[in-house]
Amino acid sequence: MYRERYSQQYRMNQPPRVLSTKDCAYLTDALSWELLAAKKAHFMASQCSDQQIKQQLEQISQLHQTHYDVLLNQLNTTEHDHEHFGYQGFRQ
Amino acid sequence: MNSQNRPFGSYQQRFAGSSNPTIKNPSTQVSQDAQFNDRDCLNDMLATEKWLTDGFNVMAREASHQSLHNDIMNILNETHQATRDLFNLMFEKGWYTIQPEQPTQVAKEYQKFQGYESQFPQQQTTPYGSGGMYQPRQF
Repeated sequence: MYRERYSQQYRMNQPPRVLSTKDCAYLTDALSWELLAAKKAHFMASQCSDQQIKQQLEQISQLHQTHYDVLLNQLNTTEHDHEHFGYQGFRQ
Repeated sequence: MNSQNRPFGSYQQRFAGSSNPTIKNPSTQVSQDAQFNDRDCLNDMLATEKWLTDGFNVMAREASHQSLHNDIMNILNETHQATRDLFNLMFEKGWYTIQPEQPTQVAKEYQKFQGYESQFPQQQTTPYGSGGMYQPRQF
């Protein structure tokens, strides 16, 4: 299918918006990192006594959850044919 | 507790005998027993964020299409900011010591590398902060 769409008729100046096998492998790795980091920061926050540290760790937990959603969206193939939701969509 | 007692989380001091005053806040006290304390929490999370920036740096470089690359670059940047926030918080709590370099040494290095400027193939100097930046290819 891609071979027909991106045939010799025109030359691509950059890769099309298609996930490579490598992209997919990296994305699944990164999703696991972010999930673990979000849970870890949240757990750490619950263990800390200092209010300022608690707050900072909770904020970081939130950040990793946001990153998780961004990465997950790259795996969502139904999004890809339409205008991509993009990173900014997650920034409230 | 003085941070020099613990190698983890504080940079090794290059000039222990330096006459320059160290840059440091008063240390916030934490329990010194086997308990995992607040300082351990921040150190562990800082290590995690550092590790994540390494991972996302490689991932950004390896990404195929532009939209994926852009998303990863944003995540990389924000992970660096989180790392920075944790570092600054630890500094604020007095768990990091900064050893200033001797100004004479800085001046010496400046002179040396200023001399190397003549080795650049293009002789015009790019004014700092006013253009001269790499322009990415437009599509």
